[in-house]
Amino acid sequence: MARLLLKFDSAVLKEIPLGTRPVTIGRAPDNEMAIDNLAVSNYHARIYSEAGRLVIEDLNSLNGTFVNDMRVERTTLRDGDMVQVGKHQIQVDVSHVAALPVNAWRKAPAPKVDETMVLDTHERRELLRQAVVAGERSQLSPTRMRVPTLSVLAGRTSQSEYMLSGKLTVIGRSEMATVRLRGWFAPRVAAQIHKREDGYYLGLGDRVPKINGLPIAGATALHDGDIIEIGRLRLHFSYRD
Amino acid sequence: MHIDAGGQTHVGRVRQNNEDDYRIESSLELYVLSDGIGGEEQGEVASALAVETVVAHCQEAQNHHATPLFVEPRADVSERTNRLISAATLANRKIFDSAASQPDVHMGATIVAAWLQDERLSLVHVGDSRAYLLRGGTFEQLTADHSLVAEQVRRGVLTPQEAETSQLQSVLIRALGSQEQVEVDADEHILLEGDTLLLCSDGLTRMVTDPEIASTLTTTEPSQAAAERLVELSNEYGGLDNVTVIVVRVLPDEHGFLDRLRRWSRRARAARDKQSLRGS
Repeated sequence: MARLLLKFDSAVLKEIPLGTRPVTIGRAPDNEMAIDNLAVSNYHARIYSEAGRLVIEDLNSLNGTFVNDMRVERTTLRDGDMVQVGKHQIQVDVSHVAALPVNAWRKAPAPKVDETMVLDTHERRELLRQAVVAGERSQLSPTRMRVPTLSVLAGRTSQSEYMLSGKLTVIGRSEMATVRLRGWFAPRVAAQIHKREDGYYLGLGDRVPKINGLPIAGATALHDGDIIEIGRLRLHFSYRD
Repeated sequence: MHIDAGGQTHVGRVRQNNEDDYRIESSLELYVLSDGIGGEEQGEVASALAVETVVAHCQEAQNHHATPLFVEPRADVSERTNRLISAATLANRKIFDSAASQPDVHMGATIVAAWLQDERLSLVHVGDSRAYLLRGGTFEQLTADHSLVAEQVRRGVLTPQEAETSQLQSVLIRALGSQEQVEVDADEHILLEGDTLLLCSDGLTRMVTDPEIASTLTTTEPSQAAAERLVELSNEYGGLDNVTVIVVRVLPDEHGFLDRLRRWSRRARAARDKQSLRGS
């Protein structure tokens, strides 16, 4: 049975089975999933199924609805997705239900390796038609339109602010660095910021950078407002309009 | 830092032809791998043409800086990366023209190419040949397959688990030579000492799991031996397809007082960071 798990700090507060009726989420007590917290709007979001898919829709909430750390207005939910509403998380668990409409493609076990073929444009369009319908609305995130910016809070750099425009932004003393560090002992490559499909990621350089005080172990997603620290360098990452 | 690279290709245990091809061009620090598609021997022709064209275009650009780009340069990547995009685009055109000049010939090829300039990596790909980066304990795919199932996963129609059993695994939505124009994916990374870059055809990743690949890369030196071991593993598990791998390792320079000092200070810093992580 598909269900939604309301969590706070990894503790499960409530479990709501998913039926045919939409599940509304909000601070008002008449919501299916009422969350008594000021960070949650009265009618914050709703989750419902549509054409065999599970959809979440933000109801113009003040603080926004996030799916796997991306702000969304409306998107398709998948098994294991983590919805963030205020300080609470809602985990999507549909593992026991075949929720996807492409049964025809999944019945027979795959012949593991067969002759590779390339779809021509026409066939491709036809086969992807269904996928497009499902995916269109998940091309989400208004943050995409906004300019990712690094503001220098502390440290000796070539500029006080950098707008990220390339696939790769290098922070360091190196001549290929965008965020050029000054000083003899500055590392050549202190860290790297990498643009991916779903946003910007901070990666290791010769140093281990910190995000909001915690050292990163590997490439780590950057969120609006994050503070990056590398030695004495402090940068503020944000999306500007 | 210096580079230790090795490569290996094998027909596998089922197929008659090896339609994969690869090249390690050490003088350029350029690594190119291609998986050919087509009946008869056309797949082999296509992958050889892809590899040959990419290497030749990059070599020419290295010798004559005025060598024109075959594409409009992109603003979000370096000159070097634009050159590699140009090379892959040219390869597309050559394969397309070659197929078009003969009746009833359909051929295509994937491409994944990595070009190093000091620690800066330019990476391009078309199709489902992949690049992975092993850094510390993390093994990560750097490329996104241009296959139908990968597209379905990205669009939320299939889960990654469903994709693995899909019948449509071998359907590519982009390849070199199938259309007159091609969109080449490009990316850039900074490599660090200790990193291992892996380029491979789908023959490897369909037979050997990611954790096994990662542990083989971690435990087998030098790069040539690791490449051979990965190909062996693929064949041990059935060898259903051609398999090709290139392993590129970034090694620290052993000599030099400054290098040692830098490594020592990095280790000390890492230990301190770990401490502070534990403390928080």
